[in-house]
Amino acid sequence: MSTSLPSVRREAVTVLGGRLTVEVQIAGAGAPLVYLHQAGGFGWDPLLWHLTERYTVYVPEFPGTSPDDPHAIRQIADWSDLVLAYQEMIGQLGLQRPVLVGASFGGMLAADLAAHFPELPGRVVLLAPLGLWLDDAPVVNWNAVAPDKLPALLFHNLSSDLVKTVLQLPTDPEQMRARMVAQIWAYGCSGKFVWPFPEHGLRRRLHRITVPVLLVWGRQDRIVDVQYAKEFAAVVSDCTVAVLAECGHLIQLDQPQLTMATLDNFLA
Amino acid sequence: MRITLFEQAPYRYLPADFEERFDSVCDTPYALVDPRRMYESMRSFLDELMVGARSGFDALLVTEHGQSAYDVTPNPDIVAGALAYATELEGLNVGIMPLGRTLGKTHEPVRVAEEYAQLDVMSGGRLIAGFPIGLGYDVTINNGVPPIEARGRYEENLDLVLRAWSDPAPFPWNGRYSRYPQVNIWPRPLQPRPPLWVTGIGNPRTMQMTLDRDFGFNYFGFSGAKLTGRRIFPRFWELVERAGLPANPYRVGFLQTIAVADTDTEADRRYAEHAEYAFRKGLGSIPGHLLGIPGGIDIQGLRAVFADPGDVGMSRQMRGASYRELVEAGAVIAGSPETVAEQLFAFCREHRIGNLHAMLGFGSLPTELVRENIQLFAEAVAPRLRQLWSDTDHAHHWWPERLGGSPVTTTAAPATTSDNHNERTVA
Repeated sequence: MSTSLPSVRREAVTVLGGRLTVEVQIAGAGAPLVYLHQAGGFGWDPLLWHLTERYTVYVPEFPGTSPDDPHAIRQIADWSDLVLAYQEMIGQLGLQRPVLVGASFGGMLAADLAAHFPELPGRVVLLAPLGLWLDDAPVVNWNAVAPDKLPALLFHNLSSDLVKTVLQLPTDPEQMRARMVAQIWAYGCSGKFVWPFPEHGLRRRLHRITVPVLLVWGRQDRIVDVQYAKEFAAVVSDCTVAVLAECGHLIQLDQPQLTMATLDNFLA
Repeated sequence: MRITLFEQAPYRYLPADFEERFDSVCDTPYALVDPRRMYESMRSFLDELMVGARSGFDALLVTEHGQSAYDVTPNPDIVAGALAYATELEGLNVGIMPLGRTLGKTHEPVRVAEEYAQLDVMSGGRLIAGFPIGLGYDVTINNGVPPIEARGRYEENLDLVLRAWSDPAPFPWNGRYSRYPQVNIWPRPLQPRPPLWVTGIGNPRTMQMTLDRDFGFNYFGFSGAKLTGRRIFPRFWELVERAGLPANPYRVGFLQTIAVADTDTEADRRYAEHAEYAFRKGLGSIPGHLLGIPGGIDIQGLRAVFADPGDVGMSRQMRGASYRELVEAGAVIAGSPETVAEQLFAFCREHRIGNLHAMLGFGSLPTELVRENIQLFAEAVAPRLRQLWSDTDHAHHWWPERLGGSPVTTTAAPATTSDNHNERTVA
């Protein structure tokens, strides 16, 4: 990781006929890369900083998670609305065949964007994506889990410095409350599309993805079991699968170096 | 003052160490149940409500809870139907008040409109209809509704139910959450519009909604009304004042767990164990995170709750609460008829409560003791409370005409319920 981090700028993109404005964080230089974040909100992490060295990284904040517009989520009626909003947003940003990277919930969205609009991405990277359902290995609904039990479901390396930093709450009571409120609300906003299940018929559309796909999974994923990797790989025609050892669900936080190397290798 | 009998239908025979062995009372394995004891629990619940009907209570109240051991009433309208007919047969002029069908979770709002309409006809116009929004886990885990949609679904379903009752012509309903090519229910309610009540936990938005739509507002004192009453009721009356409405005490219902015996000492001896069962294996065993599933509380509400969590009272200590703690918090009012009447009178007068919902069966309390509690309350406590508010000229607009009320007959259009939280802002 570079010692001085690049500056982040913001751009507001209006979509859905003016109903919704998406706040996009942008950093780095180079070819475009769009990163769709996980259900609990967005924060820059070592993988993303690493990607800014070669790419201009665009991170749309999930509707409702931008601090100034928490009710933006109310403008999205259903999953189809959401997919269309993201496609419009990428178009409005003028990005040509960006690399599309999605983690967890963002992976489900990235996969469905690529399935709906096969010409949109240049390549796709899915980090433990949701979107499929196996009765024998039900995806854990993190929204219904006691908060104190959630870290052990999301991470394998709970004692790593990065994971500890991510989980650390501010000590100032007011900041701590603000952080908890923002986190709960972020889960509530993405939760609009995870009840009753984070599954919106993706299996019936996955065959439409024609660009190369990298699928990365943690072997110790306790939210969506690693056996889901096979389900994706069986349907996606050009799919490279990397299963990381000693790694849980939030892959790039649990195994940042391995994740970087895996992505570098695929994107080279 | 109106005095009603409230009961839930707990399975009364959960093991003593339930709290140690099980995480929650919302996903309890049914293997714990002895079917004969389930029958007995259910039969006792119904029998006790009928004891209340014969003892002069103004209404019988039940709640809806799916997939839960502490109130085995997945559809309160089934219970209300049994009570409606049984009380018709016995000529008992008592209100039938499901508190009631949860509109935030239901996927069948027309069915709800039909059930209530049928109850009103069966009871000869004695229905008092409750429309709660719903508990987090019940809306989401039991019914698959995204928590962030519960409020919007509630509001749309409520509009649909009220129109289904009142629109003389068949109409199509192309809603965001439900779509019906034709709505033309049979029967319609006997009353021009049954009195409507909403249960709230302190959210000013819910309180305001009851004022905008001219509904009654119910508050349940489970989490300790001595801790929460001075927060909730002044908040409500301030909104009433701000809306320029009269401070009519009949707008407000208050639910209180009550345990009466001949003496204070006897009440403690008789009820302590069963009150602990009720709260530890009831509300205390609903984990907080299942009530506060992300998305169910709007971000403004989250900020308010995190800044000042006082509305939850002693809920978070409920799982290990002792009888003494329950009494001190006001979750239970217990004692001789004098003690109980004095406390209830003072509380209801202070907070302008015009409807007292007395919860007189609770937890594992054996049916003989429930009956004695009901009868002693009816004979020795209720008469001391009834006169409250009779010296005012307020009319009871939230009560059926057949039961002496002068109900609101028009369906008031919601004045201020549309705001930027409203799911229906989606075109």
